[in-house]
Amino acid sequence: MLNIIVILPFLSAFIMAVVYLSNTKPQRYFFYTLIGVGSPTIITILSLLSAYELLNGAPTIHTTLLTWINIGEFNIDISFMADKLSVVMISFITFIATFIHIYAAGYMKDDEAYGKFFSYFNLFIGSMLLLVLADNPIMMFIGWELVGLSSYLLIGFYHTESQNITAANKAFILNRVGDFGFIMGIALLFVSLEGTGFTFSSIKENISLIPLDTLNLIGIFLFVGAMGKSAQIPLYVWLPDAMAGPTPVSALIHAATMVTAGVYMVARYSFIYEELPDVGLFIAYIGAFSALLAAIIASYQSDIKKILAYSTMSQLGYMFIAVGLGAYSSGIFHVFTHAFFKALLFMGAGGIIIALHHEQNIFKMGGLKKQLKLVYITMFIATLAISGIPPFAGFFSKDAILMTTYASEHYLIWIMATFTAGLTAFYMFRLFFSVFHATPKEPLSVHSLDKSITYPLIVLAFGSATAGFLGVNAAYGGDALINNFLALPDRLTHISHSTEYLLGGLNVLLALSGMLLAYKMFAATANEPIENTFFSKLIINKFYVDEFYVMLIVKPIHLSSHLIANFIDPKIIDGFISIQINTYTKVAVLFSKLQNGQVRYYALYILTGLSLMSCYMIYKLGVI
Amino acid sequence: MNSLIYILPMISVLAGAFVLMLLGAKSITKTKTFNLITVGFLIVAFTLEYSTLFLEREGYLYENIFAHVFIIDKFATIFNLMFTSGAILTLLINNDYFKSRHYFTGEYFALILFSIFGMMMLAHAHELLTAFIALETASLSVYALVGYHQNKKVSSEAMLKYMILGSLTGAFFILGTALIYGATGSTSFDIIALYVENHQLKDMTLLVVGATLLMVTILFKIGAVPFHAWVVDVYHGAPYPITMFMASTFKIAIFAIALRLYIIDFSSINYFWTEMLQVITILTLIGGSLIAINQKVVKRMLAGSSIVHSGYLLIGISSIGIGSDLAAPAIMFYLIAYFLSSAGSFGILSFIASQNKQEMTYEDFKGFAHRRPYLALIMSVFMLSLAGFPSTIGFLGKFYIFTSAIDSGQILLAGLGILTAFISVYYYFKLIAMMYFYPSDKVVQKFSIDISTIMIAFIALLIIWGGIGTSLLSFLPGANGFIEIAKEAIVSLK
Repeated sequence: MLNIIVILPFLSAFIMAVVYLSNTKPQRYFFYTLIGVGSPTIITILSLLSAYELLNGAPTIHTTLLTWINIGEFNIDISFMADKLSVVMISFITFIATFIHIYAAGYMKDDEAYGKFFSYFNLFIGSMLLLVLADNPIMMFIGWELVGLSSYLLIGFYHTESQNITAANKAFILNRVGDFGFIMGIALLFVSLEGTGFTFSSIKENISLIPLDTLNLIGIFLFVGAMGKSAQIPLYVWLPDAMAGPTPVSALIHAATMVTAGVYMVARYSFIYEELPDVGLFIAYIGAFSALLAAIIASYQSDIKKILAYSTMSQLGYMFIAVGLGAYSSGIFHVFTHAFFKALLFMGAGGIIIALHHEQNIFKMGGLKKQLKLVYITMFIATLAISGIPPFAGFFSKDAILMTTYASEHYLIWIMATFTAGLTAFYMFRLFFSVFHATPKEPLSVHSLDKSITYPLIVLAFGSATAGFLGVNAAYGGDALINNFLALPDRLTHISHSTEYLLGGLNVLLALSGMLLAYKMFAATANEPIENTFFSKLIINKFYVDEFYVMLIVKPIHLSSHLIANFIDPKIIDGFISIQINTYTKVAVLFSKLQNGQVRYYALYILTGLSLMSCYMIYKLGVI
Repeated sequence: MNSLIYILPMISVLAGAFVLMLLGAKSITKTKTFNLITVGFLIVAFTLEYSTLFLEREGYLYENIFAHVFIIDKFATIFNLMFTSGAILTLLINNDYFKSRHYFTGEYFALILFSIFGMMMLAHAHELLTAFIALETASLSVYALVGYHQNKKVSSEAMLKYMILGSLTGAFFILGTALIYGATGSTSFDIIALYVENHQLKDMTLLVVGATLLMVTILFKIGAVPFHAWVVDVYHGAPYPITMFMASTFKIAIFAIALRLYIIDFSSINYFWTEMLQVITILTLIGGSLIAINQKVVKRMLAGSSIVHSGYLLIGISSIGIGSDLAAPAIMFYLIAYFLSSAGSFGILSFIASQNKQEMTYEDFKGFAHRRPYLALIMSVFMLSLAGFPSTIGFLGKFYIFTSAIDSGQILLAGLGILTAFISVYYYFKLIAMMYFYPSDKVVQKFSIDISTIMIAFIALLIIWGGIGTSLLSFLPGANGFIEIAKEAIVSLK
């Protein structure tokens, strides 16, 4: 079953690619939709079935497709594993991805490269599933790289505009930086295990063989990989630019695939990270700073997709706080709930963008609550969910994380996270009010939306409203179903119920005040932020991080490659080589003089050779 | 032990030769039919030979008649398989070429079969005089084949040169045999090996001199410097099918006898020649590169490069002398690799030559990729393999040779080999650059599908398969399958 789950999307991607490449002209809308949407539907059913199996107490599922590399004792199998963690991941990934696919069928309907889009899309899903279901780090790495590749293809999907290609390149290159860390981590792990097996279960058993110093290094390297893929400081700058791709791509990247890979990876390696509380704390701080920074930047953006992009980064920060502090299941739980409302938000935003003829600036929108009623309601649910208003999904998962930060007694993290929670409510409702409530500056002409675009919103809205109930804490009368099911090596925290209520109340209060503030500022009329003070200038320009990176990294590389291209290569290296070549050709001309075509000379050479051989014999045998 | 099954392939080839002679007497049969008949007989021989591959065997061919003249072992079988398959490939690839020239008659194909018969005999030979007769049977046929185009001066000239020089060196083979006979009282390999084992080097002066003289012939046939001067002229003068036949199949045959002699009979005194072989190897590698680098005609370049490839094989030979177990299989693997790559590249040349009759220089290949994209792609594969580019079989061939050199401590030779491999990139990639980096004003030609092009494409696939296909499909032998076969063959010698 797992084999099919992984192979099917690759297969359908391949079929569509072949059909598309054979002739790019015809639309073949029905064919591509059938295959492109059909395969995620099937794998969703299969994923839910395997989740059901595990829910009924079945042990971890292992399947082996084939042996890939077999050199002596060293074996790499193409094999898959579904334990509780991965079934939770694949269930929601495939479920949400299916709805994004349905949505994309409507969204991309008129695109010329419809087939290509779905081929990439299925490849993306397949890669993510390969990553999640991998039974050994090497398969995981392949999935990891394929996710990077397919995101590159999709971000640069509208390849006729050069800025989109730049964005795709940026995403890919920054991911490569992360991948470097990831592969270093894997390699180091492999070397230090000294051939005691390289599947996750055998690594887990033999982890005690590795000295703590090395393990620390492995943990940090792996996390560098996560930084890249999950857009954390300092490797986050690609995420906002990745909005260059079509909106369904953004939904997929932000909700179901790609960015969650980093969190998943840390949770997957939880048996390593539980040995390394210091590295964990480092991860948590990175997460906290990322969350706060992203929230601040989001509060000053005006592009609807960029706001959502920063909000993703901010939410990912929460997840890393959780996994960093050893609350792996809370982290995964937030990944789970976040997937619903973030997919919904992006798809809603996509609907708005389509309806307004590709307008993305929220301050040029307004008053859409009448025209786009369904989008309005669903987006409202999602916004409530992300802001952490009970009883919507985001409240429970975020609350669990904030509780962990408090209980861990790292109060700085707690303060940052709590403040970010308030900020989240502010900037999300800022978006919401500006788009739906504020009076528009000029009358808008609104497209009607396809059913395939709106219906998935309803399903996801339902999910956003209720997904949180799967993990309700004991304090709120639930029994944390998802945490118990995951059974990850969570660090235990003790905190009294009364403190929990207090903290929960504080969070809700902060969220509500953020919401109120947004209402005051943007509900009536929404104005674009202007760069009038030092701070706003700084924030609107995203703290000049991009410019800083250009100065620090891009410029020096440019300079040095300029130097090499214009001086070292043509003058020194080429010069050296051409001297050699000249000598060689001269010798060759001399040598070919020997080749004069006269057979008596040839015989002479043979006899000379023979004479020399005779001399050799005489010398060696010592006859004289 | 039933010897018949082992002798049947040779009989089949010989019978084919006679049939073709008879048919050739009357000029009613078409060239195409001749070719088909020849291939038919060769396929029969190949199949028969293949059926013996997995039999347990030991002993000699009709011991009661021939005594110990012909040995039966896996080594001979595998070489025979290479000869017959080599001839089949050569004939099939050149199908178009035969059709385009008027001078190919029945005798021509008969000569090829005679030559193959000689080679098969050579692989079985277990006695010096027999080996000489077998070698001369093969060589005489090849001499005739080289000069087969009587009206072309270059061709006749090439034949004369080859024959004069070949006879000259052949004389040394006989002299060497005589000296060895004088020392041991026999020409049989058994007795020679026994004699070598039981004597000290200082007591065997006569035998050592004899063995060195045998070596002259072998070095001449594979074109080692300074016995190389004929190679470029002869390869250039001969018709394409024969050049291909010489460069690939005939070269393998020489190694059938060389390996047998130097691995078994002279194994305990091999160290005697080490320095001499090293010098010859160095000369061959450098000299071959110098010749190849300066050529303008692609065929001559390939001739020069074949000298370089002999140099690589010599690295293997001198590694055997120092006692590397890897060397002999490496040589066999390299032979297969070189056979495929050179057969392919000569095959494409002959295929092009079958359509226009001019000489092909580098210049003529300008824009070839635009005119004939598929052929250009396949040609690039062959060039990459000849240059030893990873993921082709040529890379693995060089890899094994260099490994054996390093294994036996000849770092210098390995380093020089790698250096000449770099130099070879120049003249191989020049062709690729010519094909791809120049525009073409001629029209695109369709990839015609006939037996020649199919065989060429098939070889290209084999080259890539042999280079990478080790673990993709477990039931087909890839590169490691080939090297296993080579190892088995060498083991069967001992």
